[in-house]
Amino acid sequence: MAHVEHRESVPVLTFPRQTIVSLLVFAACWEGMSHLAPLLGIPPFAIPSLLRISKSILTITPIDIVVTLARVIAALIASFIFGLVLAMAMYRSETLDQYLHPMIRILMAVPVVSWILFAVLWFPGVEFRIGFVLVVVCGPVFLVDTLDAMRNVPRELRHMMQSFRPTTVQFFLKLMLPAIVPTIFTSWKVNISLAIRVVTIAELVGAVTGIGHQLSVAQELFSVADVFAWTIVLVALLFLLEALVARVEHRLLRWRS
Amino acid sequence: MSIPPTIEVRGLRKVFRQATTGQSVVAIDRLDLTIQPKEVIAIVGQTGCGKSTFFDMMIGLEAPTEGSIHIGDKSPYSDFDYFRGKMATVFQQDRLLPWRSALDNAKLPLELMGRPEDEQRERALMWLNKLGLGQFTNAYPHELSGGMRQRVAIARAFAVQPDILLADEAFGHLDEVTAAELRDTFLQLARECGSTAILITHQLEEAIAVGDRIAVFGKSAKLLADIHVNLWPKERYGELREAIQATLQSQKADPRLMQPA
Ligand SMILES: Nc1ncnc2c1ncn2[C@@H]1O[C@H](COP(=O)(O)OP(=O)(O)OP(=O)(O)O)[C@@H](O)[C@H]1O
Ligand SMILES: [Mg+2]
Repeated sequence: MAHVEHRESVPVLTFPRQTIVSLLVFAACWEGMSHLAPLLGIPPFAIPSLLRISKSILTITPIDIVVTLARVIAALIASFIFGLVLAMAMYRSETLDQYLHPMIRILMAVPVVSWILFAVLWFPGVEFRIGFVLVVVCGPVFLVDTLDAMRNVPRELRHMMQSFRPTTVQFFLKLMLPAIVPTIFTSWKVNISLAIRVVTIAELVGAVTGIGHQLSVAQELFSVADVFAWTIVLVALLFLLEALVARVEHRLLRWRS
Repeated sequence: MSIPPTIEVRGLRKVFRQATTGQSVVAIDRLDLTIQPKEVIAIVGQTGCGKSTFFDMMIGLEAPTEGSIHIGDKSPYSDFDYFRGKMATVFQQDRLLPWRSALDNAKLPLELMGRPEDEQRERALMWLNKLGLGQFTNAYPHELSGGMRQRVAIARAFAVQPDILLADEAFGHLDEVTAAELRDTFLQLARECGSTAILITHQLEEAIAVGDRIAVFGKSAKLLADIHVNLWPKERYGELREAIQATLQSQKADPRLMQPA
């Protein structure tokens, strides 16, 4: 699966010189383009100047950020619980696994846009639609990742644990869960970026709050500067969340050499 | 500590069906063996003779195809939960949980038994100290050497003060000096505890060093010889070793084993 590459995560929110240089070069190019645009026959609003973008950033409404963030976090927690519980059940029961596995493969192959359209057609409530789309997209990722990780817990450790005769609950709490913690973190990081991208699309349809809604307003006003500003917010939000997860991960996985 | 129950293995048979080829493998073919309380017995045999299969059946992780294992009047497979805290294992690799410190690894079986937190700590600490790991209770497994990790695994096994201790090639992966040292510690502690101990090994030196009794397994765990080592004077250990070697090679009990003293 595509997210396997993320496994060795680079520390986020550190700014080595190269990063700063490349950002500055990009900003300079953009600024240059915005001044050259009229000469090239491009309408000025298409490439707003940095000053214009900064002005847009100042008009950002924090409540929309909070709303989107709340939706993402609530949906991720629900997806995680759903994915983990189902993964444990499927680990325990081969029959359940055989029946559910094809369904999950199908779910994961459905494009996000289809889910959004289904949600609009099926459910009246805006919040429920957004939640549904996020859970149906992120839940299976958590499920597949955690199930896979449980299957990969070394046979030797399972054997050792069994020899001391744990109850089923103890077996999961003291062996399986701690053993898959590294995967859980990777899965969270993948799903955070997935959820941030999906939530904005979901909010484009019918929501009257949230970053996605503000993006659609900006689009109606032909304000590239506003779209740019909100995009910066989204990217920053994503990096912040990832950094947060990375910190917790670092703390919890200190046992690794 | 109570006297451990007698272990009686009767007509034990285990047949595996290989998933890939569909062929049947008779790993254990009608084994009879009685192990007395507090006895320390070594089981030797060539690779693939069914030692680990016997081990898995002793700890109740595999069901017999036929026959039975009884520990007292209970079966380790059917009465699985009954033996929680009564049996403990040491494996070839230390099999410590990498996310737990030495102390937390050593108290794992006590945790599973639901003992009070301070008792868990106290007992685990006592055993780690006995094994010379007093300084390393907070170290994670990756911070310890192979020998030290195996010491933690031994502390973990003793922490419950089990009636029955089982070790499968527990010292096989260590260098000779460390292995001998650790084995002696293990045996001494087992005797102090009054546990019955079953040590599986493919090294004859180790089997002889274990002491009480050696069961020599042939193919499919056929009991080729059942040797009471204490009937052999120390100076004849060389001869004993040769006789076991010959037994393993010919898959027939060597006549020298019949006349120890
Ligand atoms: N789960 C299994 N499925 C199929 N065959 C098995 C299984 N476990 C063991 N066997 C077979 O049973 C036989 C005995 O294996 P076992 O692991 O008990 O040998 P062993 O004496 O422990 O060998 P070693 O000294 O190499 O550890 C082997 O032929 C092995 O291939
Ligand atoms: Mg073996």
